Amino acid sequence: MKKKILKSTTMLVILSVLLTFLVMNFVVYNKTYEEMKSIVNTECHYIRDGLNEAGDGYLTQDISDISSSRITLIDTDGDVLFDSAGESYLMENHGDRPEVQQALAQGYGSDARFSDTLSKQAYYYAMRLKDGRIIRVSNTVDTVLTNVFSGFVLVLLLIAGIGVASLAFIRRWAEQVTAPINNMDLNHPLENVTYDELSPLLVRLDQQNKQIKDQIVQLRQNQEEYLAITEYMDDGLIVTNRHVVLSVNRAAQNLFHVKREECVGHDIITVSRNEDLKDAFQKALSGESEERLMDIGGKVYQLHANPVRVGNEKVSGTVLLLLDVTEKQKAEVMRREFSANVSHELKTPLMSISGYAELIENNMVKPADIANFAGRIHSEAARLSSLVADIIKLSRLDEDDGTLPMETVDLYTLAQEVAGRLSLRAAETDITLEVTGKPQQIQGVRQVLYEMLYNLSDNAIKYNKPGGYVKIDISEVNGHARVKIADNGIGIAKEDQERIFERFYRVDKSHSRETGGTGLGLSIVKHGALLHDARLMIDSTPDVGTTIRILF
Amino acid sequence: MRDLFLKQLEELHTMLIEMGALCESVIERSQAALMQEDRGAAAEIIEKDSEIDMKEREIESMCLKLLLQQQPVASDLRKVSAALKMITDMERIGDQAADIAEIIKTTDLKAPVQELRLGEMAKATMKMVSESIDSFVKNDLILAKKVIDDDDIIDNLFLEVRDELGRMMQVQEATPEQLFDLLMIAKYYERIGDHATNIAEWVVFSLTGEHRSAELVK
Repeated sequence: MKKKILKSTTMLVILSVLLTFLVMNFVVYNKTYEEMKSIVNTECHYIRDGLNEAGDGYLTQDISDISSSRITLIDTDGDVLFDSAGESYLMENHGDRPEVQQALAQGYGSDARFSDTLSKQAYYYAMRLKDGRIIRVSNTVDTVLTNVFSGFVLVLLLIAGIGVASLAFIRRWAEQVTAPINNMDLNHPLENVTYDELSPLLVRLDQQNKQIKDQIVQLRQNQEEYLAITEYMDDGLIVTNRHVVLSVNRAAQNLFHVKREECVGHDIITVSRNEDLKDAFQKALSGESEERLMDIGGKVYQLHANPVRVGNEKVSGTVLLLLDVTEKQKAEVMRREFSANVSHELKTPLMSISGYAELIENNMVKPADIANFAGRIHSEAARLSSLVADIIKLSRLDEDDGTLPMETVDLYTLAQEVAGRLSLRAAETDITLEVTGKPQQIQGVRQVLYEMLYNLSDNAIKYNKPGGYVKIDISEVNGHARVKIADNGIGIAKEDQERIFERFYRVDKSHSRETGGTGLGLSIVKHGALLHDARLMIDSTPDVGTTIRILF
Repeated sequence: MRDLFLKQLEELHTMLIEMGALCESVIERSQAALMQEDRGAAAEIIEKDSEIDMKEREIESMCLKLLLQQQPVASDLRKVSAALKMITDMERIGDQAADIAEIIKTTDLKAPVQELRLGEMAKATMKMVSESIDSFVKNDLILAKKVIDDDDIIDNLFLEVRDELGRMMQVQEATPEQLFDLLMIAKYYERIGDHATNIAEWVVFSLTGEHRSAELVK
């Protein structure tokens, strides 16, 4: 703006100086020309009168000193008789000059001519003397162009002078005009309006300022919400555009051991060099949703990669979500193992039964042995039925939805019942079975608690040595009921201790049926403990014995 | 101009990580192939090795292009020159993994492998390579220096394996062929460890402008 003001004002000044100069020149020229004309005319009259009265002696060469005009006396035939400017006989015949002709015809005549060059304009005035000769007076003035040219250098100097002087002034003035605009506080545009012309603009600006402020607040809120959600979720989340990572949440950073600044704005490979991640990212970019399992640091993660389409159909980025499915995966594996085991466990006795039955059917068994075979079929069937019963118990515990009846149960009485039930078996293998402690009432499912104590005591007897002992102790620890079942049997190796509560897990891999059992007993104990919010602790040393504690 | 350069540098960075990831995966496969006698994995390694070679060419021409067209200075120059050196080491890692795979393919090593600490060696080298690449990705000076120090672990393991193989030779627990091949494999892992160290040294160079070889000259 300042520049523009400066430029146009300077132009204006220069233009006006030039114009004034030209007009002045023209006016001055006209004036001098007119003046010169009247002087020439008057002079001519005087000389004519003088010549008429005094004769040719009036004209002497000295006249050129007196008058700046050129005075010429011309004969009737046009010959020059006298000329103040030079030798008359050298001059050509002047009879054809327009002013002479006019004077011959009407007594006087005038003419204006440019001299040989254009630099001078000459004026001629001629009058007829009484004797018929002609007296002519002429003078010259500079033409307009000559004046202009001769004054031009001066004008240029003038313009330069004015330019320098006015530039300083104009600059200051321009600064004064623009200062309020430059100093305007754009954050609060309405506070000091200097120019009314600007106020519509400033009002608009003010409105937009407010709008922007609101939008920033809104954006910040959204950002905070997004951060709150993504930063505090347990699942890893990575958002990318077509080329680089846009955000990595805390969970993903921990998962891949990276920091945000190391990968945001860089290729996805900076997050992890895992091939699965890259493949899934590429798939998502091509517009397909992708799901796969990844092993990261010993844990299993489910990776969901989805393309992001904003507006049109083109994929503009991807969202990668990582869910920890280790537990789920483990449960899945266990379930699969369980069903495989169940079918195997069920099949074994069934095969025996069908085998024995087939032998009998085909008369391949001596009548005397039939009873023996029937006995085997019976025992296998009993095994089968106890297995089925255990599976049913377990699945009931699995599906527990709070429908099992809770009641007050006395653990001591329950333990005595169990001991009574097992005393015969204990006596068979020469094992002492004793119950100690005092009555402890708890809230629980009687049937399940009985099952738990029974299975644990049963195991303690089964995996014992002849002459060993099994002690069931019911006591109270820190306000909680505690059942302790201790034996001095064969014990359990460290590596097996973790797994004995799994379904169908057996320390003895041969799945021998010597000791009987379904492989589900301890699993029932574990589920029972879960049902009663009880803690199960195992403490065992091979060949020394096992102690199992249940803390309710 | 600067924008284009930054973009190219970023691209170079990404390509180096990709090459590093390939190296990591060949060593991982080599370990699986060795411990589980997985012939399929061995074939895969040889295939991946050629992929690494291709990547090396790609990065090399990228580096030369950067040097010629952009004429980088200071840390940019260090980065590009370090990249040029690093890819040779990575390429060697790929080659050596392929050599291991070749041995696994042709010789039956099964029995003695489990008794040696070769698996441990393979794991340690894998960790070194991973960490050297990590230090590059994260510009992590401390991690790079750790990798350089860790090389001693591999060297010691190599000596142990060698002594054990010597003992096996005396009691004739394995065929001479097996013993030599196992020694070769151990040596290859030891070399891979050295290359990982080199990579880490170049990372240090690109970050600080100082390379260990300079200290040796002094």
